[in-house]
Amino acid sequence: MLAQQVVNGLLLGSVYALVAVAFTFAIGILNFLNFSIPGIFMFAGMLSWAMLRADFSLPIVVLAALASGAVLSWVVERVTWRPVGKSNHYVPLVGSMAFLILIENLVLVAWGSDQQRLTLPFADASLRVGGLVIGIPQVVGMIAAIAAVAGLALVLKRTRIGRGLRTIAEDTGTARLLGVPVQRFVPVVFCTGGVFTAMAGVLFALNYQQASPFMGEEIALKGISAMVIGGMGNIWGAILGGLIIGVVETASISWFGARAVDVAVYGLLLAILFVRPSGLLGGGAARDRA
Amino acid sequence: MIASTDSNAAVHSTAGVSRPMLELRGVAKSFGGLKVIDDLSFSVQAGERAALIGPNGAGKTSAFNLVSGLYAVDRGSVMLDGTDITHVPSRKRVGYGLARTFQNIRLMAQLTVLENVMLGQSSAASSFTGMLQPVNLLRSNRWGKHARAQLEAAGLSQYEKFPAGELPYGIQKRVELVRALLARPRMLLLDEPAAGLNPTETNELRLHLERIADGGTTLLVVEHDMHFVGALCRRVLVLNFGRLIADCTPREAQADPLVREAYLGSDDELVSDHAS
Amino acid sequence: MSGYLEGVLVLLAINVILAYGAFLPLAAGQLNLGIGGFVAIGAYGSAYLSNEYAWDPLAAALVASGLTGFVAMLVAFAVLRTRGIYLALATFAFGQVVQGVILNLNVVGGAAGYPVSTFLGPVAVFAVALAVLALVVLLFHTRFGISVTAVNDDETVSDLLGISVRGIQTAAFTAGSVIAALAGALYAHYFSFVEAQNYGVMFSIYIVLYVLLGGTQSVWGPLFGAAVFTLLPELLRGSAQWRYVIFACLIIVVMNLRPDGLATRGLLRKLFGRRDGAGAPERP
Repeated sequence: MLAQQVVNGLLLGSVYALVAVAFTFAIGILNFLNFSIPGIFMFAGMLSWAMLRADFSLPIVVLAALASGAVLSWVVERVTWRPVGKSNHYVPLVGSMAFLILIENLVLVAWGSDQQRLTLPFADASLRVGGLVIGIPQVVGMIAAIAAVAGLALVLKRTRIGRGLRTIAEDTGTARLLGVPVQRFVPVVFCTGGVFTAMAGVLFALNYQQASPFMGEEIALKGISAMVIGGMGNIWGAILGGLIIGVVETASISWFGARAVDVAVYGLLLAILFVRPSGLLGGGAARDRA
Repeated sequence: MIASTDSNAAVHSTAGVSRPMLELRGVAKSFGGLKVIDDLSFSVQAGERAALIGPNGAGKTSAFNLVSGLYAVDRGSVMLDGTDITHVPSRKRVGYGLARTFQNIRLMAQLTVLENVMLGQSSAASSFTGMLQPVNLLRSNRWGKHARAQLEAAGLSQYEKFPAGELPYGIQKRVELVRALLARPRMLLLDEPAAGLNPTETNELRLHLERIADGGTTLLVVEHDMHFVGALCRRVLVLNFGRLIADCTPREAQADPLVREAYLGSDDELVSDHAS
Repeated sequence: MSGYLEGVLVLLAINVILAYGAFLPLAAGQLNLGIGGFVAIGAYGSAYLSNEYAWDPLAAALVASGLTGFVAMLVAFAVLRTRGIYLALATFAFGQVVQGVILNLNVVGGAAGYPVSTFLGPVAVFAVALAVLALVVLLFHTRFGISVTAVNDDETVSDLLGISVRGIQTAAFTAGSVIAALAGALYAHYFSFVEAQNYGVMFSIYIVLYVLLGGTQSVWGPLFGAAVFTLLPELLRGSAQWRYVIFACLIIVVMNLRPDGLATRGLLRKLFGRRDGAGAPERP
């Protein structure tokens, strides 16, 4: 039974990991806590539901959802970061919160407040390994998530754009001096985060066959906890944190019931912030500007 | 080599034998591998007007930061009027009689001039009742009265209600000085007080500082303007690479070969008369 | 007064109190994303006192708020060592934990909500709101108010001038939380029902946003922000969701054009004049 919980937790954790990567990417490079991420997560999930209901094929749905993540995050960058982001660290945070409210309420207007069900033909396909039931869609999702993060890590390490991003993370001023076109790279940070978030939203909607206008608040927000536990600014930390949060969630549900999840996940966040704010893998990666 | 002169002993307080107001003994400070202050020792006598000069990067502001407690010393000690303040937290050093001004003016831009200078009284007014006095409402409040009096003495009364950030540079510098004075310091550290001022303002500043020193406050001034230093101070401490390389009169400093060598290549006025 | 109008005005009064609860820490440079948690403690705490022990609602409100202040002080001591983003995250986590814990407390109704048996009339609510407004305005005319702005502006210099930066921040955070709890208690006893679901991070975000909309430079900013947030939707008469859409757009636009909020010191001076009347002197 415990092993099953752990497996379920890890599979759920891959969703949290993707969201955590999006959060940690923005924090690590721009020192920016992007509160629009839960909104983008939710929109991707709801869009998937709406398009599946309208009989679009699955590949189109996934692509559209990922594109929505890129587009929404580009809008957030354009409207909140680009005008004032360099000088004022407050305003983008506030702007991203406003976008969360905007997206959530627009979805409520468009599609109502009910939780929606997605029906997929292969939803119940599962492997049986040594008494454990492992859902195939979830495994595929997990593999996709890990591949995406590995790809991101590779880009950061090997490509010119990756080096530029890492330089910006170190010090934006130095990056400019070294000729890094900071202005052009910032949208890249946002859009990458947006695509990862959307991917998480789609995966969640497809794997758990549900979407609701509140799934951003209820699920994606826990990605913040995952990010901090793994270490802010560290994308492998985000994966680790995501998996941990996934397991914590499934364990709390099975031992204490569904209502205990928030206490467990956010209690863990609070504890980490007191005891080891740099997280498990963090090494002071996040700069601390007030 | 430290050039010793008689000028050190010549400064006496009117009360009799002079005593050291500020004393550094063997102070050292490194950041990572970089030594910013390396075995620095000097003392400034009570009532003295001394200057701390040196090329850029010599460690002058670092020395100020160590004295005011922004940095903790790695080694050595800092004494203020005979009391060891080496381990006193920065917040409490004002209470021991230490105040300073800053190289880049650091006033609170949104607060008015009056509010800014009243911040200088923070240490004295730190009690519960001190905090809750409605200073901005009652004109008869004693903190307000004292602050207004100091502004008037500095000729700044007409700017009382302006937000500090909207005033010209020269006025802001004077406001910052008044803020430091409201802390009633016995030891005043001034970081480039004449920077950016025109000749008239510089002269007024010098006269103001002389009045302050005559009132008993000890001055230690970081400056690049050697004319200003020569007119105000009878003693200069020359720093380079975090060490004291000369301790003498301004004129002797300008003639000292070690000092000239330290400044070679810089645009500072010390070498302005260097034959090329 | 019609029931509807009374409801709107009571909501305005409560939002004003909430605004000042968020404003105090913000003025000292701290973002309290867990303010909803303190509101919940005040609401549930006072409701419990009046339900179980038949306390007078106003007394229950004051005592519950005072207790919340103790909790806030503990949180402040633990969290104020951290700065910036860490502080925002820690308060966020705290608020979520409080909400989560309350949802599990069946003694106060758990997820079903908690009915409140004693009623507090609108006059009391308005009176408390006015009192809070007066107190905070007065507070900001004291040295404490100047010190708060100073700490927000430049912590290093404030420290060197002898101001206890941690002390100021703790005081601002604690006072703000007490005020927020008071708002929660008033809400509970006027609307006769509290639900922990309402006090999560989104609730905190709304409050912070309308305080920042009003502007934190002046002590009148929060009043302005709360008024816009409460009254503008009434004028527009759309559905609840459209109101929030417009509110969100308003925030985005204002943050772009006037990052300091609407009621800046400069604007207030222009509107209400300065006693000396002169303009700033020319730069040389």
